[in-house]
Amino acid sequence: MNLIRAEIHRLRSRRFLWGIVGVAALAFVLGGSIAAGKHSKLTAADLARGQEQAQAALTQQQEFYDQCVAQQPAGQPVEQACQKADPSLFRGEDFATQRAFVLARQLPDGTVGVGVLTAAALFLLGATWIGAEWSTRSLVALLFWEPRRIKVLLTKLGVLLVAAAALAVVTQAVWFGVANLLASTRGTRDNLPPHFYADIVRAEGRVVLFGALLSGLGFALANLLRNTGAALGVAALYLAVLENVVRVLRPSWVEWLFTSNAAALVSRTPVHLQVGGRGNQPSHEIVLSHLHGGLYLTGLVAGLLALGGVLFARRDLQ
Amino acid sequence: MAVIEVSGAVKAYRRRGREQRALDGLNLIVDEGGVHGFLGPNGSGKTTTIRVLLGLVRSDEGTSRLLGQPVPERLPDVIGGVGALVETPLFFPNFSGRLNLQLLAETAGLQRTRVEECLEIVGLSDRAEDAFKGYSLGMKQRLGIAAALLKRPRLLILDEPSNGLDPGGIRDVRELIRGLGAKGECTVFLSSHLLAEVEQVCDHVSILARGRCVASGAVRDVLASRSNGDVRVRIADPLAARDVILGGGYQVTVEQDQLRVHAVPAPAELTKLLADHGHYLQELTPVAADLESAFLALTEGTP
Repeated sequence: MNLIRAEIHRLRSRRFLWGIVGVAALAFVLGGSIAAGKHSKLTAADLARGQEQAQAALTQQQEFYDQCVAQQPAGQPVEQACQKADPSLFRGEDFATQRAFVLARQLPDGTVGVGVLTAAALFLLGATWIGAEWSTRSLVALLFWEPRRIKVLLTKLGVLLVAAAALAVVTQAVWFGVANLLASTRGTRDNLPPHFYADIVRAEGRVVLFGALLSGLGFALANLLRNTGAALGVAALYLAVLENVVRVLRPSWVEWLFTSNAAALVSRTPVHLQVGGRGNQPSHEIVLSHLHGGLYLTGLVAGLLALGGVLFARRDLQ
Repeated sequence: MAVIEVSGAVKAYRRRGREQRALDGLNLIVDEGGVHGFLGPNGSGKTTTIRVLLGLVRSDEGTSRLLGQPVPERLPDVIGGVGALVETPLFFPNFSGRLNLQLLAETAGLQRTRVEECLEIVGLSDRAEDAFKGYSLGMKQRLGIAAALLKRPRLLILDEPSNGLDPGGIRDVRELIRGLGAKGECTVFLSSHLLAEVEQVCDHVSILARGRCVASGAVRDVLASRSNGDVRVRIADPLAARDVILGGGYQVTVEQDQLRVHAVPAPAELTKLLADHGHYLQELTPVAADLESAFLALTEGTP
């Protein structure tokens, strides 16, 4: 318990943590102000004009579809060549000159966006949390007080994960409040689809999990490499180079890439990926569910943490 | 009771494909009480020994015990009684000295008042709110000693505590160590390559060379064991006395206005010989080996 208390105090004392909190607060204030200036409640006239334009666009789209179908050779499936107009996408609010903040659309999008940005910050927090300990070697000094290395590592990890989840929950709560405030004053909270708030809570749960996992990933990489900079470098190299190389050379592996699974976890719907299709091989579609993404990321982080833990427990420390 | 026991410790490292033994069958016993010096040239294995005792490094062979318990197996049981400063102090550079100590104190469930006491002991109370990175080398070292003292340890392990200190700081640290040993509050295990430090501060000493303990015991006993039996004689007529001494079968060297008689097993017989020939001693002093010569003799050939 003493160790947990000390680690919480240590985390609270880190300037990086408060820097992240400050940046997030500033981002909400600035973003909220910009959104408030950009959106406004629709008047009945705006809405009526928008609905007229939406109807015109829908009609035009349907005409294109009819022409496309008519031009298709007999016996050919039209679904692949011609796109049928979806009336739900032609909404009066979207075509109005004045843009309203539409809760039904912008709250879910923002939930994912805020969640991903928060997770990126939490990755940095996790990497610097243990990376700074290695670079100052204060982790070694701590072993003069608590020599059980795995206990030390797990305590630090536990404190980080709880803090990361808490921060992710707070940013989601703030976004939820900001979005509702904007919808009330600069838009509409009407026309919410069925189970809207239940879906929002599920999406928030997934991005909170994503944030906690990314903080654990940063921690695991920095612990393995014993350096924050090296961990960030490896992560950047993987995202910028390795993933693209795999996509080009081994497209069938795409379902095992980090970004595919991260997208599967946080996106509102399961991710559909076209796999294969090189040379004479036919392509096929695979679907990555939220569960697939969550299990993959959890396994990845747990594996890296376990490897780092074993090395930390066995290696000599200088 | 022994607070440190090391038996047959071997630790080898592979460097450029070659095995180098940092510890080569080290045997070491440190009894409770006083200040025990751990003396050896750089690279002799002092820090490796301390790292083995503190569980940072695993020895390839041998056993180690701290406060009577085998380590690293039972280290968690005894670590509360051990304070340590190994080489350079390891603290967060952006945290203040006080915060760095508070975090360690919280880890062990110690009161904040103990932090203030330790800051006071090492003379850092006035600078306790400054960031650690702004401290001078000497202040960093003193904060490291304060951290080692926090637990009121039964055994205080200090590895080169005078590193980076100015002469005033060195004097303060030595007085602090001497005081801790004299009060009997804890046993101080002082690793150093500074002969003067060990000679001035320690009651007992173990001398390490090439990963082995080559001498151990009370400082005066270690010095006595290296004594060659020479005596220095001050006398009214040294040249006449020299002939008498040579006639008695001794070897003698003239040193300015005094004589140095070599390998004298019984100084009383020399006194009698001179008196029988009408030479009366003004002074006869055994020539004691100093720690430096003992150290150099014991560690001769160390790379």
